[in-house]
Amino acid sequence: MTDGREPDRAAAGARTATSGPPAPAAKGPDGKPAFLPSDVDPTVFDETFLRQLERLLLLMRAPVRGGLKGGRRSVKRGQSVEFADYREYALGDDLRQLDWNVLARLEKLFVKLFIEEEDVTITVLLDGSKSMASGRPDKLQFAKRAAAALGYIGLASEDKVAVSVLGGRSARRRTALRGSGRVFRLLADLSAISAAEGPTDLVAAARHAAAQLTGRGVVILISDLLDPGADRVIRELASTRSELIVLHVLSPDELDPPLEGDLRLVDVETGESIDVTADLATIDAYRGRLAAWKESFAQLAARRQATYVDLSTDVPLNELIFAELRRRRVLG
Amino acid sequence: MPFASPLALLGLLFVPVVVAMYLLRLRRTETIVPSTLLWQRLAADVEANAPWQKLRRSLLFLLQLLLVAILAFLAARPFVERPAGLARDLVVIVDTSASMAATDVPPDRLGAAKQAAIDALKDLPSGGKVSVIEAGRTARIVTTGTSDLGRVRQAIESIRPTVSRGDLGDALALAQQLAIQSGDAEVLVATDAALAVPPTTKVDAPIRVLRVGDARGSRNQAIVALAVRTSPTLTRSVFVSVANLDLESATRRVEVWGDDRLLETRTITIDPQARADVIIDDVPADASILDVRLVAGDAADTTARPDLLAIDDRAWAVVPPVRDRNILLVGPGDPYLETALSYLPNSRLFGLTPAEYPAGAVRKDGTSWDLIIFEGTVPATLPSTPILAIAPPTSSGLGEVTGTLTNPGIATLGTDEPILRYVDLSTTHIAKAQKMTLPAWARTVIPGPKGAPLLYSGVRAGLPTAVLAFEPRQSDLPLEVAFPILLANLTGELLGGSAAPTTAVKPGDPVVLTVPAGAAGLHVVAPDGNAVDLLPGAAGGLTVTYTRTDQLGIYVATPIAAPAASGAAGASARPSAAPSVPAASGAASPAAGASGGLGQGVDASAPIRFAVDLFDVDESAIAPGPNRVLEDLGKARIAPGASGEPGASGGPAAAIDPAAGRPNARDELWIPIVLLVLVGLCVEWSLYHRDAVLRMWRRVTGRLRRTGGA
Repeated sequence: MTDGREPDRAAAGARTATSGPPAPAAKGPDGKPAFLPSDVDPTVFDETFLRQLERLLLLMRAPVRGGLKGGRRSVKRGQSVEFADYREYALGDDLRQLDWNVLARLEKLFVKLFIEEEDVTITVLLDGSKSMASGRPDKLQFAKRAAAALGYIGLASEDKVAVSVLGGRSARRRTALRGSGRVFRLLADLSAISAAEGPTDLVAAARHAAAQLTGRGVVILISDLLDPGADRVIRELASTRSELIVLHVLSPDELDPPLEGDLRLVDVETGESIDVTADLATIDAYRGRLAAWKESFAQLAARRQATYVDLSTDVPLNELIFAELRRRRVLG
Repeated sequence: MPFASPLALLGLLFVPVVVAMYLLRLRRTETIVPSTLLWQRLAADVEANAPWQKLRRSLLFLLQLLLVAILAFLAARPFVERPAGLARDLVVIVDTSASMAATDVPPDRLGAAKQAAIDALKDLPSGGKVSVIEAGRTARIVTTGTSDLGRVRQAIESIRPTVSRGDLGDALALAQQLAIQSGDAEVLVATDAALAVPPTTKVDAPIRVLRVGDARGSRNQAIVALAVRTSPTLTRSVFVSVANLDLESATRRVEVWGDDRLLETRTITIDPQARADVIIDDVPADASILDVRLVAGDAADTTARPDLLAIDDRAWAVVPPVRDRNILLVGPGDPYLETALSYLPNSRLFGLTPAEYPAGAVRKDGTSWDLIIFEGTVPATLPSTPILAIAPPTSSGLGEVTGTLTNPGIATLGTDEPILRYVDLSTTHIAKAQKMTLPAWARTVIPGPKGAPLLYSGVRAGLPTAVLAFEPRQSDLPLEVAFPILLANLTGELLGGSAAPTTAVKPGDPVVLTVPAGAAGLHVVAPDGNAVDLLPGAAGGLTVTYTRTDQLGIYVATPIAAPAASGAAGASARPSAAPSVPAASGAASPAAGASGGLGQGVDASAPIRFAVDLFDVDESAIAPGPNRVLEDLGKARIAPGASGEPGASGGPAAAIDPAAGRPNARDELWIPIVLLVLVGLCVEWSLYHRDAVLRMWRRVTGRLRRTGGA
């Protein structure tokens, strides 16, 4: 039994609205907005966008089990003031939880159960492989912006936000941040991320990142998935107790290659090459192959109850946040 | 297959070059991509599922190799041989007579003849030589003995039609000259065989006729005569004769134009193979050029079949000026002379006895005499008029009398003396004549014995003057046809008659034009505007000959002023106070004498006009004739295979067939090969650029879609 009451979203929203960054000042001598710290890249996040993001909240699909109380519903029945349900008395239960009114009416012993709010950690896994540092617009830059936007929403929702960069064979996890006042710290962390030198084993890095996860939360993987074992990456991350959201990012040049003639394509990460005669038939076949490849990820994600969103880096960030992710019900 | 230039097959050496270029072309451009993951997976798909891709690349390569091979093949000039249908030495005669302008075959018979001649060249044996003769009024060799067929075609195509009667006999004679030098010759005649004059020249080579023209093409009416006559009342009439050469009757309309004004029209219906004459009276006095046109009977009738030959539907005539001339005859009276003088057109004859002269010579109207004839007398003072003196008794300014001649013979006459035109003195006998000395101002017209002139003429002190050394009645001249003609010519010169031909000139005929006194020559303008300056062959010459009468119409000759023309010999100089005779409009000056003076009252700058007309019934009969008329003039063709060996009965050897040793004709195959190469190039281009075209198309449609969506 539940009393049907939903968490007070309005209150959370009000808390978010009042706990945002201070009103912006004029630009500094270097042209950056004066409120931005020097270690934050102003091209990633601007003042207008910050204000827009304050209106959104990340939408959680299911309660998660976590060790800390926070602003999210939890499947665990805790000691909070919010009544959730009744349960028959079992030997050893706390007698203070007995409902004496039910006993008087039904002459049976029932204990009250209360909703426990718990902390949610939003972990953003950023693919830092060399293949991400290409494309027009740059995929890594797009990923940073998306990570910053999603991270800010998380911070504004009083969630913990952690950023982890997948590069080489490991995941470099930054310190988790909480509170909307830490947004600039988040931006600084993201600004410092650069593409890894040499090849990246995305599977090993994802495994490493999965091992670093504590408890349940939300894992947002932002990657181009250009790895032979990308499907294992999804399986690896989906097998954790966190909810997985895969943002599959590709540049327009990868979606519709402007290639022509007899070419030797060289992999920027591995250095491997392949000879291709890029005529129209080949390009059409490539597009077909690409669509099938993305579809395979979508189906895999659906089977693993993860969310898959395929994006192009030429999608404006506000369209990403307000249209694409809301359409996919990633955001509320 | 044989090749004309087999060495060109060395071009096949370019095939390995193409292969090498193809291999080198596969140097690929390196392009960095984020990942080759998908491309590697794709490569397997392409290899397995898109054989067309490999095939297309191979197809381009093979196509290029094929094109190189075909071009080498083309350069080697492959040909197919077949027996030649023509002799090794070919003479092509193209008929350019007036009938070849008939339009019963498009574009006209001459165009069809030229094309037939060009088409016949394909049967020429390899190395055969061709000569081309143009058969107009006279034959002209266009090109001779060449094996360059391109040049031959050009020569044939350059042949232009003429408006004159053709002379195939002249052309056949030329062909004969060319054929006898060759052991294997043939004459090809491209003609309509509508021969005005059937040739009779035999040719020692076979003749083949390429006949053009519709066998039923006889539909033609023509103007065959045009004359302008002046009546005694000085009114002028035009006489036109129109012939219908068709086998059906025809209705045509005759239009008479005078100086570009329509004067009269008449509709006539002419029976087949008959003539109809039209006389139009009262031609305006001021008309100088008559233009007669034969047009459709009814302009509104569009069903009427047009005349097939247009050039004989128009004729021109120069109208002689009309002026009444006053001639005074001073003498005892000679009925022969008076009678002959009375026949002169536009002339009035007056007579005086020597005693009545000069008192009675004053005219009542105040005008002066156009001509004074002194017969057997010479006045003390010569008048300031043109003078004809007949048998002057004593010496005077007209000439020195040194004695008499008894039975003087007439020496050889000049052939181009205008006074003697149409005058036959071959049977004339003179009993007695004055022995004269030729004055400096005169020329001898009728020479007598030992240089003594029997008739001389010239310009004395600016006045036309002539002296006849004998009285007509002292000879049998008055009894001859020549007498009135001689008098007409003589008085014509003295009175300022036209220096131009009085009758129409035939196309192609040369025209002798008299250079007016004081002029250096004549500037002659043809109907198409082309002009030429003619100067006498010798200084002070009297005539020039104009030969370019190859167009129908009016020619105008204008005197060219001498560089230092003196006025003393000009028409404006009048040594006496006598008023000048009004100049006849359009009349040219008579032949000048040695001193170069002009006729009295004649404008030195007045143009001389003459007309060139076809007027040829035989040429206007355009129905094509039989080939045999020409083919029978050639050598009979020898039966194929004749070897020259004696016959079985030991008879004379058969003639050797020149075709036996004749090379075959060659048909080169370059045209189909070139077409094949062009098709191949188009296929290669489309294959090679298919991608680029499709990409461009997709870009355009994508842009349009985005624009439409926006």
